Amino acid sequence: MTGTLSAAATPVMDRLISRSVEKHRPLSVHFDLTYRCNERCVHCYLDHQDHGELTTAECLKVLEDLARSGTLFLTFSGGEIFLRPDLYEILAAARRLHFDISLKTNALLVTPERAARLGEFGVRRVQISIYSDLPAVHDAITKVPGSLQRTLAAIPILLQYRLQVKLACPLMQENLMAYRGVIALAEKLGIPYILDLTITPMMDGSSGPLAHRASVSSLLPVLRDPALQACKPRPNAQPDGAVNALPPAFGSAVSSGMESPAYNDLPCSAGHNSCYISPYGDVFPCVQLPQAAGNLRREKFDDIWYHAPQLQRLRAIRESQLPICSRCEIRSYCERCPGLALMEGGNLLGAYERACALAEEKARLAGVAVPVSALHRERDTASVPTTPDAEFAFLAADSSSH
Amino acid sequence: MSTPATVFWQKNPALAWREIDDETVIISPHDSVMHELNDTGSFLWKNIDGKKSAAELAVLLVENYEVTPDIALSDTQALLEEMSSRKLVVMVPETAGVSP
Ligand code: SF4
Ligand code: SF4
Repeated sequence: MTGTLSAAATPVMDRLISRSVEKHRPLSVHFDLTYRCNERCVHCYLDHQDHGELTTAECLKVLEDLARSGTLFLTFSGGEIFLRPDLYEILAAARRLHFDISLKTNALLVTPERAARLGEFGVRRVQISIYSDLPAVHDAITKVPGSLQRTLAAIPILLQYRLQVKLACPLMQENLMAYRGVIALAEKLGIPYILDLTITPMMDGSSGPLAHRASVSSLLPVLRDPALQACKPRPNAQPDGAVNALPPAFGSAVSSGMESPAYNDLPCSAGHNSCYISPYGDVFPCVQLPQAAGNLRREKFDDIWYHAPQLQRLRAIRESQLPICSRCEIRSYCERCPGLALMEGGNLLGAYERACALAEEKARLAGVAVPVSALHRERDTASVPTTPDAEFAFLAADSSSH
Repeated sequence: MSTPATVFWQKNPALAWREIDDETVIISPHDSVMHELNDTGSFLWKNIDGKKSAAELAVLLVENYEVTPDIALSDTQALLEEMSSRKLVVMVPETAGVSP
């Protein structure tokens, strides 16, 4: 037979990820339309000013470039996307260009009319940040009185218009034990959720938000909660039949798809088949790896994606060659992020304290007798090199010069 | 099921899809199911514009691939029927004005 059609999400997704990784197609793009926001979350990594956002025409041009380059999964985020007065124009263009569209929002501005428009523009998923089922906790984080009530009111409206809604709950000192309430809420609504333990530095590298991060010891009761499957070495593969049908309880609200075997020896998808675009047109490998590879006001997307030295060097990194982590016995419990390795440890290729401490706790909870990360083991025996291995020196040099 | 030759085919406008390196991935937004077309399937998909019948699509296939007219027609019809059953394409009456 000449023309063939296959279905079922997981095998199709695996093949798609394999092909896009192998040929470096930008399958999945996270595009922040604005950093302006109507909340002031205590842990936020953005400033909330407009430093010259892409115009409507510039955004549409970016979308055309992405469609031509092979992007299928497009996530619009911010800041708060509903503060872009041209949001519908941008969504209409995304629809015309046949993207699979997801949104991230605090949902404060959702009305039935707006939800209906999202449905019209073929938006498939809406991810909503929620910090607790208790107004006092949620509103203290967003600094907007009444915000939980408004956010919760939006969810049935979005569901009514057949949009898939997912709750994302970043956990920090202020709401650490709120996860149970958020899970109960998600279960009551029959929608998926994700708990995210990642609190990142500001995009300019300053560490303000880290003051809100829960210590590893305070996370132990959460990690121990059997309901959360927190001790699995790797997230489950997704079941057949749907894209992202049921996520694992824990994950990063930033990335997805890492469970695919296609990533094999790669640290993550960043720069291989996914990237991030800022409201000012800067192209980064990931929002959590803020190392600009180029700017779309000056260069075409393909020129940046295929030729920027930062991305080419990132693509050369293999887990099995990482100077410390490749020797780590508890690697399978670790959720090392290259972006955080750079921002927190100063080395894209390195290990960093937070990842090691969390991996050790997860391994211990999973029954490993005395789990010690390579960083801690080698530091104790003073064998951690002060400079990265020679073969990676060029990468580290580049990664620390942004 | 066989479809009348006068029927034109149109892509379901609600779908997300992308051709990547000669293969096309299609996502139905409401159930999130992914579908995948091989290169000849992708070729047909690109040409499904609301203005062509199965027979016309089969002619294009013969012009661009090494396939006999009979096989091209039966394969095109089979693919359209399969896609129709999955709501990826819809039939358009010959008289209706259609935008691609
Ligand atoms: S850089 Fe970090 S957050 Fe981004 S895709 Fe990689 S692991 Fe995920
Ligand atoms: S636990 Fe530490 S040393 Fe081990 S892989 Fe993770 S970051 Fe690297």
